[in-house]
Amino acid sequence: MIHLEHITKIYHPDSVALQDVSLKIEAGEFVSIVGQSGAGKTTLAKIMIAEEPPTHGRVLVGGWDITHIRSYEIPELRRQIGVIFQDYKLLQKKTVYENVTFALEVAGAPQKRIQEIVPQVLKIVGLEGKAHRFPRQLSGGEQQRVVIARSLVHRPKILLADEPTGNLDTMNTHDIMELLLKINHFGTTVILVTHNREVVNGLRRRVITLKDGKVLTDLAQGKYIL
Amino acid sequence: MITLWRIFIASWKNLTRNTWIALATIFVFMMALLSVNVLLGVNAMLERVVTLLESKVDMTVAFKPATSEAIVNQARFYLTSLPQVSSVGFVTAAEALTAFKTRHAGDPKVLAALDELNGNPLGAQLVIKAKQSDDYPFLVQAVQSPQYKPFIQSQTYDDHQVAIARVREVSHSVRLLGAALVAIFALFGLLIAFNAIRVAIYTQREEISIMRLVGASSSFIRGPFILEGLWLAILTLVFSSVAIGLIIVWLEPSLRPLLDGADSGLATFFVGQWPTILLIEGGSLVGLTTIISWLAVGKYIKR
Repeated sequence: MIHLEHITKIYHPDSVALQDVSLKIEAGEFVSIVGQSGAGKTTLAKIMIAEEPPTHGRVLVGGWDITHIRSYEIPELRRQIGVIFQDYKLLQKKTVYENVTFALEVAGAPQKRIQEIVPQVLKIVGLEGKAHRFPRQLSGGEQQRVVIARSLVHRPKILLADEPTGNLDTMNTHDIMELLLKINHFGTTVILVTHNREVVNGLRRRVITLKDGKVLTDLAQGKYIL
Repeated sequence: MITLWRIFIASWKNLTRNTWIALATIFVFMMALLSVNVLLGVNAMLERVVTLLESKVDMTVAFKPATSEAIVNQARFYLTSLPQVSSVGFVTAAEALTAFKTRHAGDPKVLAALDELNGNPLGAQLVIKAKQSDDYPFLVQAVQSPQYKPFIQSQTYDDHQVAIARVREVSHSVRLLGAALVAIFALFGLLIAFNAIRVAIYTQREEISIMRLVGASSSFIRGPFILEGLWLAILTLVFSSVAIGLIIVWLEPSLRPLLDGADSGLATFFVGQWPTILLIEGGSLVGLTTIISWLAVGKYIKR
């Protein structure tokens, strides 16, 4: 599903974010990418969604070589990968319903399909009663649910969650992780970027540990070892 | 088609949900347009004043008292036939005397001197108005033709020559200065509008990058912003037109007494020229908002 070959990312000569990182993530996997701040987790996530180009190496997503992806091809890639961010990245001037709808509208989905899918997805994340609220009227956990709903409407094969629980309390963290596991259970590949030890240890899934921009360990049923 | 409709709806929602930014932008646009229009109005008024002054200038040809009416009439027809002449008024000798007495009613010495003379010392007069002030020198020559010169006692154009030259000079300077000021203010207006759009889009830079992250194409992101710019331009034109209309209605009656009851030329100018003004100002504003929105949004569309 995702194939990274010898990825190196250099922002400045004295700032090397990733060094010769190679890894394969298969379809249907639930992979945690862990590491301390500055280990290169977020850079790796950005390279997977073409937010940053690698300095060296090759990136394949679903067989598509996105190493030198053209600007006009990026929207197509983003519609195939659901992304969840720590700071939610919701459109503040749009309601919950509109935020979720927007992801379908940009892809040119017909109105009928939008009207079918969006209520279903909002129900899955437990926000069916808050469709017409604005993000500022929601709690952190609820906002993260909206982000998950938005990333799910495309029925993506890959869901990339970059520190999705970073701003949440224990209860909301638990709920969000339950949701991600449910999504993975239905066949979506989930890549979780986190430095939350308890979350990773509770999953008992594959864990890739990064340190100083390099893969330190890659364990099938790993734990947070740093 | 469905995408265009979504862009249209999104632009309208953006406008209504960013009310304060929209109002601030419209206000700045209006200030820019009003500054240009105020100058256009002042320019139009000055032109009107110059025209009024020019219309007050005439040339009076006084004939000798013994000149026959036939000669005066002949001169009148001759002058009327000249293309440079706007009108020729005829004042009989008696009317000229009455006017003279009225003019000097407060001067007993002049009136006493007049009484000592036997009969009317004044002859008939022709009051000539040229179509343009530039034409008077030619008319002076025309009147001085050998055919009429022996019958002419005096002509008063020389008295006005300095005034006419001064009016023409002022008129020329006013036109030049007005055009320069309008051009400068138009440039300031464009710069102000340019900045207002950039600020409005800057406040939404985060939203733009999020749209990109969830898979929106550049055109889908830009579309609503460009359309929003169009709405702002249209609303500005409507509000500015109303403001200018109200200003004219309020100002015109106050200006009339200053111009001896004549209209100031403000309403005439704006009513007569509104399609051109609207086309130029609206076109500039729409063009500007489109180009700047396109460029400013592009700045925040990352990979």
